Amino acid sequence: MKRFTEITLGILTAIGGFVDIGDLVANAETGARFRMGLAWAVVVGVVGIVVYAEMAGRVAAVSGRPVFDLVRERLGARVALANLLASFFINFLTLAAEIAGVALALELASSVNYLLWIPLVAALVWLVLWRGSFVPMERVFGLLGLALVVFGVALWHLHPEGLLASAMHPGPPTNESWGTYLFFAVALFGATMTPYEVFFFSSGAVEERWTRRDLNVERANVLIGFPLGGALSLLLMGTTATVLAPRGITVEHLSQVGLPVALALGKVGLAVLLVGIFAATFGAALETALSGGYTVSQYFGWQWGKFVRPNKAPRFHLVVLLATGLGGLLMLTAVDPIKVTEYSIVLAAAALPLTYFPILIVANDRDYLGDRVNGRVTNAIATVYLGLLVVVATATIPLMIMTKGGA
Amino acid sequence: MRRGGGALILAVLLAVLLCACVGPVRSFEVYEGKAATTAESVASAAQTARLAAGEAADARAFAPYLSIVLSEVERDAGGSEDVFGAIQPPDGRSAELRTQLLALIDRVTAVLADLRIAARNGELGRLEDIAAPLGELGEQLARFVEAHA
Repeated sequence: MKRFTEITLGILTAIGGFVDIGDLVANAETGARFRMGLAWAVVVGVVGIVVYAEMAGRVAAVSGRPVFDLVRERLGARVALANLLASFFINFLTLAAEIAGVALALELASSVNYLLWIPLVAALVWLVLWRGSFVPMERVFGLLGLALVVFGVALWHLHPEGLLASAMHPGPPTNESWGTYLFFAVALFGATMTPYEVFFFSSGAVEERWTRRDLNVERANVLIGFPLGGALSLLLMGTTATVLAPRGITVEHLSQVGLPVALALGKVGLAVLLVGIFAATFGAALETALSGGYTVSQYFGWQWGKFVRPNKAPRFHLVVLLATGLGGLLMLTAVDPIKVTEYSIVLAAAALPLTYFPILIVANDRDYLGDRVNGRVTNAIATVYLGLLVVVATATIPLMIMTKGGA
Repeated sequence: MRRGGGALILAVLLAVLLCACVGPVRSFEVYEGKAATTAESVASAAQTARLAAGEAADARAFAPYLSIVLSEVERDAGGSEDVFGAIQPPDGRSAELRTQLLALIDRVTAVLADLRIAARNGELGRLEDIAAPLGELGEQLARFVEAHA
């Protein structure tokens, strides 16, 4: 039981990181348009995030310091500032979208307009971050987010046919172009390797006071949590591929994600799904708000974290409060939350090398890690992925313009 | 470094804005393509409404959820109609196509509005009957897409 609770950091990170508002819509939309023809992009992304999150967690556990802190020290203020600016902007957009995601889940349960829920949600997110402790917070939302396993149960009930075949034959269907197909591949890859996941994971490791002795727990977190998040994404993709694709339905709203589940499992399934969406988006809102506070505080060398009382880390909590409040205000302008998330995913893809290259450098530094530096195999895989990240980052913006954002 | 960062942010913002641009349509072929895309989008809204109405008939979803789904698809179909309707047809053939498609979309949006009203009134049992015309309308839209895509 103790082992099980110890891996909740990974589960929360994975569910918050993989199955947040953006992934819910991106995976659902991909399934409806390409069936399982882009499942490979999620699998490639999962392997990448496992490799880099393991590095980030190991760095934190061995050195006792989070990755961002070491990036600034090892690579200097300029490189760290570029990293900070890119990740904080994307993180802020993601936080705003997550707040709206929670509000949308409440709207689906109550039919009260989501804009009316946003101030309440933003206040609740801040309250949990201000008053709540790190470990109970991650366990409650990580485990509640597991309600999204309902996608798997629904898929089982739907008796899907030809899903595996469509996964084995990548490529766009006749009514879609290669440009659109590649744009969605980049978006899924970017969503899977969202930068805030590694910052949250490594800072969370420090919050949980991991040491060298916890490296097995750290690996279990990475190897169970992230693939679990990826599996949930694929199950969601499978439900829309089975129900929405044959009807020619494209996904524009979070509400459409519930249609296949309701068809398969009725009101009970739909209720469980809404709980799962609430938990996953709320968990992701907590993660992104904390990540914003972590990166800014670690860059400027301020006291940070939930492991000290708020009055010991006032500037960290001020950043969290401002980011949450401004995120709520941004969404109150009635900007489409789904579009905000889609743009944040695509911009994240464009900024991926800025996040992951410094992690690779630090994970090879014996001054910080001693004998726990990367092995040859890890370095080989990580270098291949770094090349892939550069290709993805270069292609993202041209693909977005060429396909008009995948329209 | 600072100049480079500023240029990058500007380029990204420009790219985002460019994605939202709708340029003028100067040929029948381009206009026809936009008509097909609009028909596809409205057909998707109609199919979503049919699926939701079917789930309502089988008591598989809650009233608040269904009312949101139906409001959103009505808004989507109306939005697609507005955007397409605002495009100036470049020639006579395009104007005919416009009349044909907008008449079809009008019939779809009327049904979607009835569905939304019934769902908000809690008349879930009536939704499937109200949605019945969407089957035929959806097929007409599909034929339109096939002919003009």
